[in-house]
Amino acid sequence: MLTEQRLKSFKDFLQDSSRDEIIWMSGFLAGLSDRTSTGVTPPALGETKSATEKLTISVLYGTETGNSKKISSKLAAALKSKQHKVALTALDQYTPSNIQKEGIVFIVMSTQGDGEPPVAAKKFYDHLHTKGYNLKKLKYAVLALGDNSYPLFCKAGEDVDERLQSLGAKQILPLEKVDTDFYAPSEEWIKKVLINLPSVSKASSLASQAKQPSKHGKAFYNGKIKTHINLNDKGSAKETWHVEISSDEGIYYLPGDSLGIVPPNKDEDVNEIISLLSAYPNQTIKYKEETLTLFDLFKYKLNILHLPLRIVGKYGALIKNELPSVRLDLKNVLSLYPLPADTSLDNVIAILEPITPRLYSISSSPSAHGNNEVHITVSLNSFSVNDKTKYGFCSSHFAGLNEGDEVKFYIHPNDNFRLPSEEKDVIMIGPGTGIAPFRSFLFHRDNEGASGRNWLFFGEQHFATDFLYQSELLSLFDTGALTKLNTAFSRDQKEKLYVQHRMRQQSKELFEWLENGAHIYICGCKDPMSKDVEDTLIHIISKEANIDAAEAAVYLNRLDEEGRFAKDVY
Amino acid sequence: MAESVVEKIKKESKGLRGTLKESLLDEHTGAIREPDQALIKFHGMYMQDDRDRREERAEKKLERAFSYMIRLRLPGGLLTAEQWLALHEVSEQYSSRVIKITTRQTIQLHGILKHHVKPTIKEFNTVKLDSIAACGDVNRNVVASAHPRFSPIHEEIFSYARTISKLLLPKTNAYYEIWLDKEKISPDVEKDELYQDRYFPRKFKIAIAIPPYNDVDVFTNDVGIIAIIENNQLVGFNVSAGGGLGMTHGNAATYPRLGSMLGFVSKDDLLNTVYAIATVQRDFGDRSDRKLARLKYTIDRMGIPGFKEEVEKRSGIKLRDEKKYELTIRHDEYGWHKNHEGLYYYTAFVEMGRVYDSDKVQFKKAFYEIAKSGKAQFRFTCNQNIIISDIKAQDKAEIENILQQYGVIHVTKTASPARRNAVACVALNTCPLALAEAQRYLPSLIDKIETILGKYNLNNEELSVRMTGCPNGCGRSVAAEIGFVGTAYGKYNLHIGADAIGRRLNKLYKENIEEPEILETLDVLLKDFSDNKKLNEPFGDYVMRKNLV
Ligand code: SRM
Ligand SMILES: Cc1cc2nc3c(=O)[nH]c(=O)nc-3n(C[C@H](O)[C@H](O)[C@H](O)COP(=O)(O)OP(=O)(O)OC[C@H]3O[C@@H](n4cnc5c(N)ncnc54)[C@H](O)[C@@H]3O)c2cc1C
Ligand SMILES: Cc1cc2nc3c(=O)[nH]c(=O)nc-3n(C[C@H](O)[C@H](O)[C@H](O)COP(=O)(O)O)c2cc1C
Ligand code: SF4
Repeated sequence: MLTEQRLKSFKDFLQDSSRDEIIWMSGFLAGLSDRTSTGVTPPALGETKSATEKLTISVLYGTETGNSKKISSKLAAALKSKQHKVALTALDQYTPSNIQKEGIVFIVMSTQGDGEPPVAAKKFYDHLHTKGYNLKKLKYAVLALGDNSYPLFCKAGEDVDERLQSLGAKQILPLEKVDTDFYAPSEEWIKKVLINLPSVSKASSLASQAKQPSKHGKAFYNGKIKTHINLNDKGSAKETWHVEISSDEGIYYLPGDSLGIVPPNKDEDVNEIISLLSAYPNQTIKYKEETLTLFDLFKYKLNILHLPLRIVGKYGALIKNELPSVRLDLKNVLSLYPLPADTSLDNVIAILEPITPRLYSISSSPSAHGNNEVHITVSLNSFSVNDKTKYGFCSSHFAGLNEGDEVKFYIHPNDNFRLPSEEKDVIMIGPGTGIAPFRSFLFHRDNEGASGRNWLFFGEQHFATDFLYQSELLSLFDTGALTKLNTAFSRDQKEKLYVQHRMRQQSKELFEWLENGAHIYICGCKDPMSKDVEDTLIHIISKEANIDAAEAAVYLNRLDEEGRFAKDVY
Repeated sequence: MAESVVEKIKKESKGLRGTLKESLLDEHTGAIREPDQALIKFHGMYMQDDRDRREERAEKKLERAFSYMIRLRLPGGLLTAEQWLALHEVSEQYSSRVIKITTRQTIQLHGILKHHVKPTIKEFNTVKLDSIAACGDVNRNVVASAHPRFSPIHEEIFSYARTISKLLLPKTNAYYEIWLDKEKISPDVEKDELYQDRYFPRKFKIAIAIPPYNDVDVFTNDVGIIAIIENNQLVGFNVSAGGGLGMTHGNAATYPRLGSMLGFVSKDDLLNTVYAIATVQRDFGDRSDRKLARLKYTIDRMGIPGFKEEVEKRSGIKLRDEKKYELTIRHDEYGWHKNHEGLYYYTAFVEMGRVYDSDKVQFKKAFYEIAKSGKAQFRFTCNQNIIISDIKAQDKAEIENILQQYGVIHVTKTASPARRNAVACVALNTCPLALAEAQRYLPSLIDKIETILGKYNLNNEELSVRMTGCPNGCGRSVAAEIGFVGTAYGKYNLHIGADAIGRRLNKLYKENIEEPEILETLDVLLKDFSDNKKLNEPFGDYVMRKNLV
């Protein structure tokens, strides 16, 4: 259909396009092809406002990894291009009570944690749910970003949409949920928004039906474990696995991205459950328009561990029995409270939730390590249940893998955690596995010969056994790629010593770097590390700039807005 | 010829300070900066790494397991009970736990991490122990015969050991500033008449022997001092110079050498004479090639008369003809002994000088309890053993009990003479220069040698067997009747023919042999020896009589 050279240039173009770009384009093209051959969108029914009318519109977004921001910026641009007056605001910058004064609001937000709003949207979310605002004047639409493989798909967006309605606000469009392949659907949504903009006089009544989240799902890669080493030395209390995964197909990611996997359940657990349900492993069953064996369903799809209370509750209801509200594994539930013979297996499956994906910051760099492998740094998560040491589901899965084993994984992009341009300085604070993305950053910058300076703060328990990637960091340090390296080993001396103490010791220079335009990153465990580190940053800023804590917080906030302060904490 | 790098480092070190303080602050590595690695020796320490763990650490992306070995300055090798307790605590808290008695009458602790070095030295300092000049191009630990039988003279000799050690101590305060956080007294570097800013070209060792004992192996030292006793009075000293055992495989210019007798001096003239010898070596020693820098080579270049003349010129003291003396025994005399004051001494056999607790014998527990009782002192011997000393008659039973309870007496009593006399250096896993195992291997080799000795009923021969992991000779293997010198992992040169009292070095008999050939060779030699030895003829002398080397 295309002419020779158009076809060729099209192919060439595809050649140099990344896998994710192609996925995006496919969605985009799908969107285009909906249009009439002239490529001009005809005024939809429902369009009621005169083309000239100028509206004042507020576009709000709540994001963790930048997706919602990207989409809302596109929306804002599209609205501006129609000469509307548009304010684009991140929800953490937005004064919740202002919602009462708004006329038209579009909200794009993702869901994080276990169905929670992104940290940046929490304040707004809580206000909305606690304050009894009257929002009769408000017209709105919510685009909820989510990941279909999480039990509570787009929950946060859902909550906001419902709450706004219950406060009297009118939907311009029904809630739109989009999965991780959100490019095409969000383009679609933006088009619908443009079409359905209300006139100030009367709000749009007819809006197209809510679109089910597209089921393309994520792009999964099939990889093989190439290298698998415990970075901690003999005598360490920690077990941190450096895992190199190779794949024949190119893996497309950027430093800052994470790798996601849905860990499989243990065969013995699966078999135990199936026999407790007195069913057969190889009987087939339909699940999310997929037909598969019961065994595969329990092994690869359903979460059977540490069931959330909501499910324990549902099961209780199902078997008409009061279950104590404690989180149990499915096999325990089933053996303690067997499923009555007259209740069918399907009812149980219906209440179960999918296995939550686990994410691991990628510690390799495409430019330094090539596109056929990714590295991650997995710390064996351990905890004790009545004095018995137990290990985390996914991390113990990784710890147990061997070279040559296969792993199915996807890339979880994080546009909020990106390297700046090559001449900028970066300060990286990454204790424990927080080192992972910074190993990627450092190898990347070294490989690209970036001229900006690099400063790393690392911390762990013991110098002798827990200095993750020490020899690599030392050679980067010796060649000058790593400008400064500060370490804090908490248990090598009587009094505990953490990265934030090292930062305080370097207060003056650290502030100089910031004043110099340095970008600063925090990665690692949220609690208490990232909080303490952030407090310390505020302390340092107020000390060196001699301003009070509040002003220092504003300073840090500004860095955040300028995209010079990023966190990837968990 | 150009001066060696170490000379440059010493000169630029600002009195052995270098950048040690900065090195200690480098958070990202357990190592210290390169020049500081040379300087820290002058403070009694060595930077090392666990050679057993290199590959595994590399795989884990960890740097080498760097740690520090500290050697105490202990002239005469005496520790009070209080000092032993401190040593015990430090060894448990900061080191690899084993207390290593060295062939120069002091102790070493291994495996101390960089951030534990200062605490370690602070602990030692609280009981007046230091490691100043225990290593480096300075006068090393001054050793003296440990055996307490001639006690009146011993007291005197110990005071000489201490005085000489003091006399030849560097004057810099660096040690106190760097390790003990003492204020720097003056901005400019301390003046040092003896060492100036160059120190010696090389290590410098002094030993004092009290005939008939040569437990210090007096002639292997740069300066050998032999106490001359006439009707139980110390009248003066014979002085020898130019001893040293180090050599380098494949470097013909290097060789082991026993000290040459210079002559006799009176008590009052000893210090000046020693000092003069030291300054001659300082000014005439080779500073371009460290392999040829020891006093032994200086003397051979100058010729003994020329050297002696220079010494006399500088000291203004004539060295008279040597006085008669007799050395008859080099090994330790184990078990209980009583001195003239009626104090008791127990010489315990500590295999390879490694004080630790095994299921066979619990040295650490035993010595710790004894120290806690406060009823004894601890003396080390150059054969890597320990003497529980100065015990009052009424306390003897209590001490004996403890020694009994922890198996010390048992191992001392039951060990064969060959095992009791055996000496091995540290070598692997800490010694960076080691080519082969020594202290970790010799005990099991002795098991097999014992079988051979048994076969030819030589069990009671006071045979001297010594092993070193390389030709540096730390275990004085070239001064042993049967000496093993490591050449590669599992391979040794076999040297035989030295006497058992340290007056004649051995010679190379077989090169690069592994255990099976070692045992075959010894089997032949010892059978032959047992068949043809004269009455009371030591193995070494037999070898020479038969011209086997
Ligand atoms: C601990 C000890 C052996 C033992 O098992 O007891 C020892 C251990 C070492 N000696 Fe030694 N020497 C020890 C007595 C000796 C002796 C025997 C003696 O002095 O009676 C000698 C032979 C006599 C001599 O000095 O010639 C000796 C000749 C050497 C040499 C060769 C020197 C030379 O002139 O060639 C070296 C290598 C060097 O200095 O370059 C050396 C170097 C070393 C080092 C420090 C290796 C190094 O330079 O990095 C060894 C540390 C190993 C470790 O991990 O502990 N050590 N060393 C002895 C400590 C004595 C002390 O307390 O001061
Ligand atoms: C963006 C992002 C990046 C990340 N990067 C990294 C990284 O680089 N490296 C890394 O190691 N981790 C990283 N993580 C964390 C990682 O995703 C996992 O959360 C972590 O490995 C724990 O998962 P798990 O399945 O092993 O533990 P889980 O099985 O999920 O258990 C987690 C916790 O739940 C509780 N729990 C679970 N089961 C029970 C039970 N039966 N009884 C009582 N309590 C229970 C325990 O407190 C346990 O510690 C990242 C997370 C995010 C969100
Ligand atoms: C730690 C974590 C937890 C998540 N939990 C959920 C969830 O419970 N439900 C859901 O629908 N999506 C969940 N997601 C997926 C995100 O909502 C999805 O990646 C979205 O595209 C992120 O958009 P953002 O970059 O604007 O934050 C989670 C993502 C992460 C990293
Ligand atoms: S002889 Fe060699 S191997 Fe043994 S301790 Fe001395 S230097 Fe090390």
